[in-house]
Amino acid sequence: MDLGKLETDNTGRCRLNSPVPSVCRKEPCVLGVDEAGRGPVLGPMVYAICYCPLSRLADLEALKVADSKTLTESERDRLFAKMEEDGDFVGWALDVLSPNLISTSMLGRVKYNLNSLSHDTATGLVQFAMDQGVKVAQVFVDTVGLPETYQERLQQRFPSIEVTVKAKADALYPVVSAASICAKVARDQAVKNWKFVEKLKDLDTDYGSGYPNDPKTKAWLRKHVEPVFGFPQFVRFSWRTAQSILEKEAEDVMWEDLSTGDQEGLGRITSYFRESPRNRPRLSHRYFQERGLESATSL
Amino acid sequence: MESGDEEGVEKRRVHLRPDTLRSATPATLHLLPCDVPVNRPAPVGSFFTPAIRQGPEGLEVSFRGRSLRGEEVEVPPGLAGYVMVMEEKEEVLVRKQGFPQGSDNDEQQQELLEPPEAALERDFDRVIRASGSFSHFTVWGLETAPGPDAKVRAALTWPSLAAAIHAQVPGD
Amino acid sequence: MADRLDYGEGTDAQQFVFLLPEYLKDTSKKMKTGLMFVKLVNPCSGEGALYLFSMCLQQLFEIKLFKEKHHSWFINQSVQSGGLLYFATPIDPLFLLLHYLIKADKEGKFQPLDQVVVDDMFPNCILLLKLPELEKLLQHVTEEKEIDKKKYYKYSREKTLKWLGKKVNQTMAALKTSNINVGARVQSNAFFSSHQISSDKEEDYICYAHGLISDYIPKELNDDLSKYLKLPEPSASLPKPPSKVQIAHWFFLNGLMYQGNILYHFTALTLQKVKLSHEPIEAKEDYTKFNTKDLKTEKKNSKMTTAQKALAKVDKTGMKSIDSFFGTKIF
Repeated sequence: MDLGKLETDNTGRCRLNSPVPSVCRKEPCVLGVDEAGRGPVLGPMVYAICYCPLSRLADLEALKVADSKTLTESERDRLFAKMEEDGDFVGWALDVLSPNLISTSMLGRVKYNLNSLSHDTATGLVQFAMDQGVKVAQVFVDTVGLPETYQERLQQRFPSIEVTVKAKADALYPVVSAASICAKVARDQAVKNWKFVEKLKDLDTDYGSGYPNDPKTKAWLRKHVEPVFGFPQFVRFSWRTAQSILEKEAEDVMWEDLSTGDQEGLGRITSYFRESPRNRPRLSHRYFQERGLESATSL
Repeated sequence: MESGDEEGVEKRRVHLRPDTLRSATPATLHLLPCDVPVNRPAPVGSFFTPAIRQGPEGLEVSFRGRSLRGEEVEVPPGLAGYVMVMEEKEEVLVRKQGFPQGSDNDEQQQELLEPPEAALERDFDRVIRASGSFSHFTVWGLETAPGPDAKVRAALTWPSLAAAIHAQVPGD
Repeated sequence: MADRLDYGEGTDAQQFVFLLPEYLKDTSKKMKTGLMFVKLVNPCSGEGALYLFSMCLQQLFEIKLFKEKHHSWFINQSVQSGGLLYFATPIDPLFLLLHYLIKADKEGKFQPLDQVVVDDMFPNCILLLKLPELEKLLQHVTEEKEIDKKKYYKYSREKTLKWLGKKVNQTMAALKTSNINVGARVQSNAFFSSHQISSDKEEDYICYAHGLISDYIPKELNDDLSKYLKLPEPSASLPKPPSKVQIAHWFFLNGLMYQGNILYHFTALTLQKVKLSHEPIEAKEDYTKFNTKDLKTEKKNSKMTTAQKALAKVDKTGMKSIDSFFGTKIF
């Protein structure tokens, strides 16, 4: 898979896609949605769609695609190559969500949680296929959360499509298996060839699976913690594992929207209103107050 | 500047070495929308600078997993930006001992009032020097650019108003 | 250590970020010393304040400090907490001399300047005597006598008020050419009386200019100046509780808005409502609707009321989170 586009900038969201097979613009299609790399504390999360005409579903099954988790890396690579060969009826598209995008979304002033991010990405990919002229008739989606509400939302969003959201859909529907292979191949490749934004010396790339419970991953995180910056952007700062290492091993950082119960405001309001004006220090002119300016009294 | 002596009288002077205003090397400054309550070395050039992107609405970067939007702010005309550091006592002593008893130094001493307590520099004084200079810096906002209403931008208008307030009034 | 700093490497040392007049750099060619930070009196409060004194230029600079909560600097390869920015700007030394002249006037007699400018707390005040053209400056605020070629001065209230009047005038002139919003509490007005959109009037300018000057003179003189300028009675001179406007302004500075029995807190994207009394509350507009959790849906439902729009536009910097106020987390 050519991830060149991702390598030029891996700080945000990157969309990659195959050409649309012309038959998919003419015949009703079935489309599968799956994700890879949702759980790890390291690297991107990838959302993928894969689609083919309903009339060619048997041909896709004949490739013996299966849930990507049951396949070895080389089997996945081989199957993805086969799908590329069958580019006359199989199409795919995927979104690589960088760990930086995940961190900044989840840690935003207005929290954008991983579920919403996932749902919106899946929806965006289905819409992208439709915008490219794919005649989407059926959509199958794998989910980790409650399928009912997700299905309802998707069905509302795409009323003309028959939507099925199901746990373990990647094992049940070949088109979802195919999507899971696309996602996993992209995620593995992205992690393996990750271009660190930071200029780091002595970078150790032996980070294990990237899952928080992997001792190798944990060791890597501990080794690469930086007291001021925390971690490289390859790490999802919003993960509890990352946060707890930072709490112990990095400097505190105070943000205006995450103040930690200091009572300064309370102190000031009482002194301002209750003390007699005689004792109250004369406030500087509002010109200075509005600009955060005060007379310096010491160096 | 702590109190000059045990009675709390504010005697102490902090001498700014004028020559350091010329020798200061250019410094890169970023004003962050969060407090890191510590003064320490930080690998800004490895972690922060390479991650800055020029986005459609200005500069973009992230810090500790939070998104920042930034913009360059120029130091107002007529002003120069300096980063200053206090010299340690030992450094001051070394400098003093190494001071050439040159003519221009003597001239200065004569310019001053003669009594020793009126000497410009005394043992209990401290020395500060400019280590860096700058003519612009980057102001960062949390998720949104600081924009024209940023307090720091408003503060930068102070020197021009101060000039008007403190200009000598014409005599009678 | 010095070398390490000079090459812009990281440092543990406290660093001060300063803006200085550019011309100070040129004085370094003439003098190796004589530029110093000293503590002198703040003529308004009588307390100590930091100044920069240049022997070479014979000039005094006041030091203002820009300070905003939750800020810090990256300076080269180091982090500096606080995010403070110091400004050195020339100050009219007559404000400081005036402090001593008024104090010495209690003796009720003409005195030589070196007997007037004495200070046990701030002995560096003798540096003021080194400033140029003091005699000319003092004409603005004193009566003088010359005996045996030595000058003796006595504070003149009348001359001082006249001089301060000119100061107010020149400040007003500068304000008029600036973008500074001098209208009475304009920012708060947007929330408390939207019908009262103020356009900057002559009186606003004179009040604002007077307010700025009042930061440099003692309170008693300031009251006299108000009368001299025929300004409306200043509320600050009376020992009474803060006015509604003052409270509103204080609230505003802290990111709060009070209406009816409801305390609103505005931040960049959210508006929070806190119940203050046990009485039933009927908000005219449902501000909580604006507080949507999801950015996406917020964009879709962006039908904001006028008040919400006004709040959304407000300068958010420097506002306190209400958490810090009540010690509870809202988010």
